[in-house]
Amino acid sequence: MMVFSGMLFFAAWIIYSLINIQFIEGDKWRKMSEEFTTREFDIAPIRGNIFDCNGNLLATSVPIYDIIIDANTPGFTNTDTFQLHIDSLSIQLANLFKDKSVDSYKQQLTKLKLARKQYNVFKKRVSYRQMRAMSKFPIFRKGKYKGGFIALPKSRREKPFDFLAERTIGFSQVGIKPVGLEGAFDSILKGKSGKQILQRIAGNSWIPIDDESMIEAQQGKDLITTIDINLQDVAEHALMKTLIENDAEYGTAILMEVSTGELKAIANLTRESQGVYKERFNYAIGESVEPGSTFKLVSMMALLNDGFVMPTDNVDVEGGEKRFCNATMKDSHLGAGAMSMQYAFEHSSNVAFAKQINHFYARNPSQLYEHYQRLGLTKSLDIQIKGTGAPVVKSPDSRSWSCTSLPWMAIGYELQLTPLQLLTIYNAVANNGVLVSPLLVKKVEQEGRTVQTYHSKVINKEICKPDVIKQLRSMLEGVVLRGTASELKSNHYTYAGKTGTAVVANNKAGYQLGGKSYRASFCGYFPAENPKYSCFVLISQPRKDNYYASKVALPVFKEIADKVYASALSLHQELKFAVKQSTEDLPIIPMADKVHIQTILNTVSLSSHFHNDSIHEDETDWVAGVPQDKSLALAPILLEVKGVPNVVGMGVRDAVYLLERKGLQVEVKGVGKVRRQSIAPGSSVKKFKTIQIELS
Amino acid sequence: MTVQQPKPSRIDWATLLLYAILVCFGLVCIYASVFKETHPNIWDASENYGKQLIWIGVSTFIGLLILIIDEKFFFAFAYFIYGFSILLLIAVLAAGTTVNGSASWIEIGGFRMQPAEFAKFGTALALAKYLSGYNKNFEKDKKIQIISGLIIIAPMLIILLQNETGSTLVFTSFIFVLFREGLPGWILLAGFMLIFLAVLALIFPPLYIIIGVAVIAGIFLLLVKRTRSLILITIGIVVVSGLLVSSIDYVFQNVLQAHQRSRINVLLGKNVDIKGAGYNVQQSKIAIGSGGLWGKGPLQGTQNKFRFVPEQSTDFIFCTIGEEYGFVGSVLFISIYMLLLYRLLVMAERQRQKFNRIYGYSVVCILFFHFLINVGMTLGIMPVIGIPLPFISYGGSALLSFTILLFIFIRLDANRVNELRGGFD
Repeated sequence: MMVFSGMLFFAAWIIYSLINIQFIEGDKWRKMSEEFTTREFDIAPIRGNIFDCNGNLLATSVPIYDIIIDANTPGFTNTDTFQLHIDSLSIQLANLFKDKSVDSYKQQLTKLKLARKQYNVFKKRVSYRQMRAMSKFPIFRKGKYKGGFIALPKSRREKPFDFLAERTIGFSQVGIKPVGLEGAFDSILKGKSGKQILQRIAGNSWIPIDDESMIEAQQGKDLITTIDINLQDVAEHALMKTLIENDAEYGTAILMEVSTGELKAIANLTRESQGVYKERFNYAIGESVEPGSTFKLVSMMALLNDGFVMPTDNVDVEGGEKRFCNATMKDSHLGAGAMSMQYAFEHSSNVAFAKQINHFYARNPSQLYEHYQRLGLTKSLDIQIKGTGAPVVKSPDSRSWSCTSLPWMAIGYELQLTPLQLLTIYNAVANNGVLVSPLLVKKVEQEGRTVQTYHSKVINKEICKPDVIKQLRSMLEGVVLRGTASELKSNHYTYAGKTGTAVVANNKAGYQLGGKSYRASFCGYFPAENPKYSCFVLISQPRKDNYYASKVALPVFKEIADKVYASALSLHQELKFAVKQSTEDLPIIPMADKVHIQTILNTVSLSSHFHNDSIHEDETDWVAGVPQDKSLALAPILLEVKGVPNVVGMGVRDAVYLLERKGLQVEVKGVGKVRRQSIAPGSSVKKFKTIQIELS
Repeated sequence: MTVQQPKPSRIDWATLLLYAILVCFGLVCIYASVFKETHPNIWDASENYGKQLIWIGVSTFIGLLILIIDEKFFFAFAYFIYGFSILLLIAVLAAGTTVNGSASWIEIGGFRMQPAEFAKFGTALALAKYLSGYNKNFEKDKKIQIISGLIIIAPMLIILLQNETGSTLVFTSFIFVLFREGLPGWILLAGFMLIFLAVLALIFPPLYIIIGVAVIAGIFLLLVKRTRSLILITIGIVVVSGLLVSSIDYVFQNVLQAHQRSRINVLLGKNVDIKGAGYNVQQSKIAIGSGGLWGKGPLQGTQNKFRFVPEQSTDFIFCTIGEEYGFVGSVLFISIYMLLLYRLLVMAERQRQKFNRIYGYSVVCILFFHFLINVGMTLGIMPVIGIPLPFISYGGSALLSFTILLFIFIRLDANRVNELRGGFD
């Protein structure tokens, strides 16, 4: 028991020390613990890029740096070196930033030296170029531990194409409702933040402790969109020009690829002041408006598909004015009598459509509503972006349904659709009845590897009978050839579409033009026979005299179509190389890579054969070619082992390869084959010497 | 000879339970001290806690194996085990792996083990067997005392050559075993006096101490009835202390290595260097001190998590307890440990067989020595000697050897009833 008492004595001693440390000296240790406190900080990941369909950057993160100076490093604490370099450092800083004088930089740095603080924010938001330059300055070039130069990387989001598709690209910022692709694909773009343990040092600053415990941030994935920045540029500028000309309130232009539903351009411009327009709101996607006459396509489709009318059937428009219940509907051109449905569509008679729809669907309005459902007009479009506007298409059961509903809906009033939604219908007609949902993001890539692919969804494989599609397309072509859009034609290609000029009452814009303001639109596709692109243009509330769609919206459509046609090779007739290569024109090849030259010759359908000589073809990679019996005889040649090789007559690729393999630096001038080389063949090789080769 | 299996009722379940509690608690502490958010899985064998888990499995298996071996095996093979462990120690000297400056590791197929750990129970078995032999009177027979001393000192010397000071010192705990077996008290007292003088010698200049001892001796002689032999003894003590004090100063300056010198200086408060030798202890105290009454909670210790405390999962494991479970947790932990030691003492005392009793005492002394030094050093009251906290610290061979040490005793204890019925004593 004595032994155990001894043990107890020691145990008591231990507990006494515990009490001592945890309670009596507790505050002291806790305070020290505070001082040594460390905390985990997130390392912001680099956000993924957004590309257009050709790999152009639409949005990217550029690195910027905060420069921290640790004045408790030899570069600062050692007075001799500090004094030696401080002047040149200050001069170079002043030269680089040009924001402060040499003296004030010197003062600032000297102050840091005297204070000996470990963490001094020296400059914020410095570009990569500036950071690199600074890291080569005196003192700083000694690095982090000796020169006290610390560059903390941050990033800034940049859109290289400025306002182009700005609203579609969107943004994602803390505290603001996310917009566009940046918002919708935020989780994919943002990546995963890493962790770093920082330790608190005096003055409530934090410095990293060890690299071991750091978890690297995971870079965000990239989005490959369907946007074509060139077409976007065309659309945006055409729209801008027209908006400025007409001093309109806002406008939108959408370009879509017919077969895939890929959106090639989405331009949205809002008036800031006269002549100044900015991307402020995504009208194309986000706002439902009364479509007006462009909606007549849907009414026509219903009438034709249900077999109620034929394009040739006549309809009496009763002088262009007719009362439905308590409201009067007017055509823009009064005084007409009987006309064919085709003519009514091409010249956009309101009465004709209101009358026919009212006539055939009054008993069973839900039959018309089913058409709307089939076309997906009763639901929001399911597209890869946030903030899609909901359509307002009332059903016959709805309370607001009245006896004016049918005639007015027939001409695109009493219902609201987003521009994109209407475009998908026109696109479906162009696409032979296949209704596809618009596509904005094609792929998600991670470090160049595709991790996810998106395809456009087919909403409806056949929106109406194939015959009806044909009839509708002939009418849409008629609008351009004979009807409301006949003012602008193209000699190079054909296009089809429908104008729409809707009346809007907008308090903000006031009631110009006799208390009314207008929304002009044109929706169509081109080329008419074999549609490749569909396009919708809407100009809202033009303040000038022109407000007709054909005068306001159509020119934008035309300009976009012109530019697309001029630049898109796929729209042109393919030129076939019918001429067979004449064998007399075979080239003489002084020396070339065996495999490459064969590939090239095969591609241009020239025959070649190996000319058997003393050297077997497998012994060397190099051959020389001479025409022989309508075929190129390739004679294997061995490379000279010593000296500078003779590259005259060779292609640049082979020449550079051979010369650099000898350790020479090659400077290339011109294009074509090598005409001259600055170091004579066979002369001895001096490594890293520069050789110029001139090409012809 | 039939192998006599211990009946389950005879196994000391309380000890087993305490053992299990400590091992589990140890695993939790290791998990907390090397915890990384990136590897939260406790089964992850690439992390220390995963490895420890494997070692717990191995130790449990070996422990159970020991419980079914005939207890006579340990008596019969005591010298063999001792000899084998000495051989291993020598082998390490020849072909050991150096870890943290001490060449005391053997590497076998990726696993590292420290033979010094196994020498502990080897020595305990040998000492027990030697002293329990027929007609061995430790109290009277000087020869027996010397041989006992040699049994202990032989492994100590080899381990010292391996530069493993911590484990060497562990063997000094056998002196308490010898004390229980009749080692004169004055040797123990003299030992303590020596340590006391040694500490004094490090704090004050040797000359002052010699003068002080001489003065005290003079006063002593003045007060008592002076006999010739008493005067001679007193003078002898003064001379020996003088020599000792001077030699300690010499050893300190010339024999000890720099890190050992600075550790001792830090302990004695002669210099405080937060980034240097005192760093461990300083950080350890910060960890424990910031724990307060209730602690910061499991996995919440910041000192621990960011690896401020070096060797956190091995030598400084007590920091984790102090920081995350606070005073309450620490006292609870100490109580459980003391309970285990008390239980082992009770078990040792109830042994009818000398072999069992001596072995039991060895177990208690070894465990207690580790416990005292290890916890003491985290609190800054003992010098920083790198020895593990048995059953708690991370380390495979340590856990295995402590388990073997303990389970052999449990096995011996389970057979005490048989001996009553006419064993071989």
